[in-house]
Amino acid sequence: MTRTVRHIAMLTAKDLRIEARGRQTVGLVAVLAVLIVVVLGIGLSPGRGADGLSATAILWVAYLFGGVLVFERTMAVERHDDALAGLLLAPVDRGAIFASKLLANLLLMFAIALVVTPVAVVFFHFDLSAAPGGFAAVMLVSMVGYAAIGTLFAALTSSTRLAGGLLAMLVFPVALPLVVASTRLLHAVFEQGEALGGAGLAILVAFDLIFLVVSWLVFEMVLED
Amino acid sequence: MNPSPTTTIVRLYWIATLLLFAGVLGMLVFWTPREATMGDVQKIFYIHLPAAIHTFVACFVVFIGSVMYLLQRRLWWDDVASAAAKVSVLLASLVLITGMIWGRSAWGQWWTWSPRLTFSLILWLLYVVYLVIRPSIESSQKRALISAVYGVIAFLDVPLVYLSTKLLPDIHPKEIVLTARMGTTLLAWFVPMTMFAAGLIMLSFRINRLRRTALEEVETEFEEPRLVPAGGNA
Repeated sequence: MTRTVRHIAMLTAKDLRIEARGRQTVGLVAVLAVLIVVVLGIGLSPGRGADGLSATAILWVAYLFGGVLVFERTMAVERHDDALAGLLLAPVDRGAIFASKLLANLLLMFAIALVVTPVAVVFFHFDLSAAPGGFAAVMLVSMVGYAAIGTLFAALTSSTRLAGGLLAMLVFPVALPLVVASTRLLHAVFEQGEALGGAGLAILVAFDLIFLVVSWLVFEMVLED
Repeated sequence: MNPSPTTTIVRLYWIATLLLFAGVLGMLVFWTPREATMGDVQKIFYIHLPAAIHTFVACFVVFIGSVMYLLQRRLWWDDVASAAAKVSVLLASLVLITGMIWGRSAWGQWWTWSPRLTFSLILWLLYVVYLVIRPSIESSQKRALISAVYGVIAFLDVPLVYLSTKLLPDIHPKEIVLTARMGTTLLAWFVPMTMFAAGLIMLSFRINRLRRTALEEVETEFEEPRLVPAGGNA
């Protein structure tokens, strides 16, 4: 058990170190996410059909596209110089490889969300004061599920020529229930003034668990190719 | 040239399906009573519901084909899954179109973001994506693998989509009161619809198989001749 945890920590640290030295992902994707918010903000600024809550949908667009780029890049690192072959030869459980990739993806996505979320909140006059913690919890929990399927499909598509476009096509429809559930929960909290109950979050956590378990199980089968 | 016995059976099957469709259509027009509040538009429901149920069946076949491919890695299963995916998209489109026509007359709108509409739309999108990504993956093994993983995840996603859309405000009819004749019509519609869906899956599967064998033949024909070392016993 501790061995696996150590492996996961080592592999995650490796991915983060590559990012820290190369600075290839977070800066680029964060700027892209801000650009998405700006483009949508110009078209839909408050008073022209958008209210504060529109920020949640707009943030999702930014998270979805940003996420795809993150998943793709952390996996592309392994394709360089056939690093993946080395990783597979190492005496490390395949589950640990999945967990470390997932963790690295999540941390990078959180870093991007830290930049883009305040931008969207300010641009769309989204009043978070009712439940700032609830907002953060809903978004963070949803991202875990999204990162799980993203990590799985990135491993699958990274060896094809069309990696980027293909990955977006594969993960967007699968992630839609997370988008629907999280935006509806936030709607109930901010529009109808309901408290964010355990039941609401439980749905999102259940999604995460299903996506995590399935991705982890399938990841082992997929990496052999 | 005389048709083979299989061809005759297939022809008879499709003729029977067509005749049954004609029969239930006549039943729907002349025999089934008009629904009091909705009028004739309600009759679309007899197509809508069987199509919706068969969409799930087709999605389930995609799931089975995908799981079996992951376990056995035989392209035969990929052909099963992709055949069923085509049919599930076709049926889901039918569900969406009939639903929208009905909604236009019942609610005055072609589309609302109600749970079941959103659910059907996402389901349709999930399987449309399955079909459109396939041609862009060149290697047939890789295509089968990505499709299989996606086919499994998409099917497991269906209950999640259902749960999440439950959070949306609903105006879709929840229970439908049917008279005896209406119930009979609905049951009768299931027969040709089932034959149609099953027949299409088999037809599409047959085409997939034929295409695969033809491609394999071409590939072996143009395969690079193996280099044999001079004088060596290869």
